[in-house]
Amino acid sequence: MFAYIVRRILMTVPVMTLVAIIVFMLLHLSPGDPAAIMAGDNATIDQIAAIRAKLGFDQPLWKQFALWCFALIQGDLGNSLFWGDPVIVLIGQRAEPTISLALTTISFAVVVAVSLGVVAAANPGTWIDRSVMGFAVMGFSLPVFVVGYILIFVFAIDLRWLPVQGYTRISEGIGPWLHNLVLPSLALGMAYVALIARIARAAMLEVLSEDYIRTGKAKGVAARPLLLRHALKNAAVPIVTVIGIGVALLIGGVVITETVFNIPGVGRLVVDAISRRDYPIVQGVIMIFAGIYVLVNLLVDLSYTLFDPRIRY
Amino acid sequence: MTKIARRTVLKSSAAAVAAMAAPSLAMAQARPSAARTIRAVFHGDVPSYDPIWTTANMSAYHGGMVYDTLFGIDSKGDAKPQMVGRYDYDASSMTWTFELRPGLKWHDGTDVTTADVIPSIKRWAVRDGGGQHMMQRVKDIAAKDEKTFTISLKERYGLVLDVLAKTTTPVGFMMRKKEAETDPMQKIETVVGSGPFTLNLAETRPGTQYVYDRNPNYVPRNEAPSGISGGKVVKVDRVVFVNMPDSQTAVAALQAGEIDFYEIPQADFMPQLEADRNIKIQVLNEVGLVGQIRPNFLHPPFDNVKCRQALLYCVKQSDHMRATFGTSKYAKDTPSFFGMGTPMSNDANIGWYTGGQNFAKSKALLAEAGYKGEEVLLMQATNIPYMSNAAQLLAQEMRQGGFNVRVESMDWSNVVQRRANKAPPSQGGWNIFITSSGGTAIGHPILLAAHAATGDKAWFGWPSDEKHEQLRAQWAVGETLADRQRIAREIQENAWNFVPQVYYGQWIQPAAMRTNLQGLLSVAEIIPWWNVEKV
Amino acid sequence: MTARDLAIFARRNPTIVAGAAILAFMTVIAIFAPFIAGDPRHMNPVNRLLPPSAAFWFGTDGLGRDIFARCVYGARISLIVGISVASASVAIGLAIGLAAGYFRRLDNAIMRLMDGFMAIPAILLAIAMVSLNRATVAIVIVAIIIPEVPRVVRLVRSVVLSTREQPFIEAAISGGGRSLKIVLRHILPSTIPPLIVQATYVTASAILIEAGLSFLGAGVPPETPTWGNMIASSRLLLARAPWTIFFPGLCLALVVLAVNLLGDGLRDRLDPRLSRRM
Repeated sequence: MFAYIVRRILMTVPVMTLVAIIVFMLLHLSPGDPAAIMAGDNATIDQIAAIRAKLGFDQPLWKQFALWCFALIQGDLGNSLFWGDPVIVLIGQRAEPTISLALTTISFAVVVAVSLGVVAAANPGTWIDRSVMGFAVMGFSLPVFVVGYILIFVFAIDLRWLPVQGYTRISEGIGPWLHNLVLPSLALGMAYVALIARIARAAMLEVLSEDYIRTGKAKGVAARPLLLRHALKNAAVPIVTVIGIGVALLIGGVVITETVFNIPGVGRLVVDAISRRDYPIVQGVIMIFAGIYVLVNLLVDLSYTLFDPRIRY
Repeated sequence: MTKIARRTVLKSSAAAVAAMAAPSLAMAQARPSAARTIRAVFHGDVPSYDPIWTTANMSAYHGGMVYDTLFGIDSKGDAKPQMVGRYDYDASSMTWTFELRPGLKWHDGTDVTTADVIPSIKRWAVRDGGGQHMMQRVKDIAAKDEKTFTISLKERYGLVLDVLAKTTTPVGFMMRKKEAETDPMQKIETVVGSGPFTLNLAETRPGTQYVYDRNPNYVPRNEAPSGISGGKVVKVDRVVFVNMPDSQTAVAALQAGEIDFYEIPQADFMPQLEADRNIKIQVLNEVGLVGQIRPNFLHPPFDNVKCRQALLYCVKQSDHMRATFGTSKYAKDTPSFFGMGTPMSNDANIGWYTGGQNFAKSKALLAEAGYKGEEVLLMQATNIPYMSNAAQLLAQEMRQGGFNVRVESMDWSNVVQRRANKAPPSQGGWNIFITSSGGTAIGHPILLAAHAATGDKAWFGWPSDEKHEQLRAQWAVGETLADRQRIAREIQENAWNFVPQVYYGQWIQPAAMRTNLQGLLSVAEIIPWWNVEKV
Repeated sequence: MTARDLAIFARRNPTIVAGAAILAFMTVIAIFAPFIAGDPRHMNPVNRLLPPSAAFWFGTDGLGRDIFARCVYGARISLIVGISVASASVAIGLAIGLAAGYFRRLDNAIMRLMDGFMAIPAILLAIAMVSLNRATVAIVIVAIIIPEVPRVVRLVRSVVLSTREQPFIEAAISGGGRSLKIVLRHILPSTIPPLIVQATYVTASAILIEAGLSFLGAGVPPETPTWGNMIASSRLLLARAPWTIFFPGLCLALVVLAVNLLGDGLRDRLDPRLSRRM
């Protein structure tokens, strides 16, 4: 098993190298010149060229790539072209809102979805099952920004229960922090509730049909503890897999949700950076998101052994 | 994996969460009360802390907080001394003498001296169109002592104070010697000014919020504030520039009282805001913005003056204004080459406007020019709504007027890059693009780079017209307002013949704010936060 | 098939029939758009923001365009984006997946490459591709295909791997059969049912991503009528003119819902094993 873990960790190295190449090429082979944007409206062509030289953009591409990779290995993501601050510091300042949003969304989605899935699986074919599944399809079909604006319209503008936008740091209290995160988590969580509820239901149905559960039932083990203890534990494997896949989806959703609710997170940082051609930020954020994705999937793979003792490598 | 391992995982993830929260705990410090803090949302993000290096208005807003200027225009547009105390002009030797007023200090506590001011003027003059225009006529800028300096001229030049006092970007902000001696092509990173506010770096989050605290050491002038001149008395403890790109969100936040000020509520939100008792609307920049359509003089069809004239007959400004601003009272047509409501506005040679949109006339002009349906490449910036609207409508109008238009959609950054390309459209160039400029600048033949018609050296579109340039030079040395207005009429008469650009309207962007926000001064292109209080 | 058979089929597979019926309806509308609606691009600012009426069934938008016409033509772009992304990513993914699953030496390299593409958040890759280049339908389609391909590859590979272990394939391989023939005759057919199901989900997700890209201002050109574009350009009008968002939102949700229903129904029929796993 140790050998498996080491091999699995080593596999991340070529993946991250590929990501680095793809990201660098995508940015540097596309039109759009940060120097022209930085120089401003009244700049002459000579001024733009001077700025380009200062930034090192007149160097051959392979050299720029080599320099970037070399710094990357040392943990240096470079400095923002516009603010001059180190990219790692800018991401650090924006990390808390994004991590908070991701965590509240996942917790909300998992709790709601697994409950829905279990309830549906316990009553297969009934109206409860059908409405849960109907909701799951609906939740999957609505774009996150449409859900977001509907929530803002109803709960923030009309009823005035919750704030329209913004983010409060967790250091200012759990209450205010949660207050700001309720609507964004709901909007962003909708698709995950739908996704995870379906999987949870299917996994539960499969497990419930297996012999040892039927045996348990026949032996007269009380229905509820049986469902939860045995079945849920076994259904955890597919559910965890989906959460792993969901991280990629979540990162995409975060970008849109942060724009709708004006949350000063990493997603907005990178969208703004793309339109300004602030290459170091775009490269840095994509590298970090890719790193998180790789890491989460590594953990998911390793956690299989935790949830299902039958899986051994 | 064992249970112990699982517990370790849980523990370490708890530690990670704690570590994430820790820096913000450490940074929590005494904050000014909400009643003495203003939270304001503007049209964008502060792209750079260096307001000399970039023309971005957001950087000028930032500059207006932390820096001061030698002169400042008042509400009538006249230059008044600001950092300067006494000044004098000697007509025989053509020398201006300036004395800095006492009590000026940088935020680091040191005195403001001529050793700071002179390199500041020089660095700014490299980046600024008005500054360049002035420096061509300046023989020397010299320090007489720590507080006194002189500007000596090669020829008579009436715009020295106007250029130093103007609010069009880059504004002539004064910086410390250390920053002022930076290469003008490189931006400064350290923010030390002598203005009424200081930048609080500990609480500032680039791209999210910029925090400005009252500068307790600032000595305001005694005069009442007017424009960016007069006493800059700060009446709150803190002003926070919040970056909120989504205007729906910003309007909702303003109505919910989460922010105090929103610079650019769109016209469609006006009825909703006007109906809100807690919100008031104020026009800060009376002249507003003028929308420009720039044809490229270097390539067919717009190398032919008849094709450019045809554009004049295609564009219906009221349609453009209605498309973005609805039936707003804040948008209007601008037949004048110098915009409406500026000192140079006039009605010379505006037959194309009074006759109304005329596609037949456009087609006739195109036929005279021998236009045979060559493709016209129109660059559309999709991420700026009013530009996107104007481009879509312009394409429709031009097609009706006989042009064969291809709209190329891209984001504004791509437009900015591509418009610098002088190659033919088929090789990465372009035929036409859309932008806008401040009405104050449009109304000034010298300050606006786009008003130059110097061919290759001119602004994008590279218009070329000798008569235009002669008239601009005459205007710059015009002695009286009446002289300049007379010359401005001639410039316009000529301009609407050779058509360096076409306008699609002029609009005022009213700002919306909470009713308890009082004392906001109306200035073009800078938003002053001194004199403002929450009551 | 008689009407009676059809009725029985519909009763047994209500999701397939409902999904297919909505999709067929939308496809007809998309194909015959010019006969159904007027010019979706014609702007007339005098008519801006009119509520639904006899002249404008769905009202008009901020530039005075007919929302009904834009909704009808929008079906074209949404379906073109959805279908071309689905068919292209399935075709590319199938080829790569077959190669990875069958030629064991290529497997590791291919799968690491796919992992690399999957690790980059799809929406960021698409935003970057579209806003760094020109905003055209073709670039949007390519930008959505790239992140979808690895998912198809993974699915195909897993099916190939499990099929390979079947005795008849092993027999064919050891019998010295040509690789291409084995892949095409024996392995390819078993990948078809799960791929059809996967294609429906890719279609739904492509339509949603296109809408999201438009929302972030990185989609197809604004004058091109698409539902995502319409919602994005009218989103500031939510309170003032709700119809500008309501109708395209309804069309979008309806089509995605139909595709998802069809996918669910097909999955239950074609691939009961997958239906239990998913």
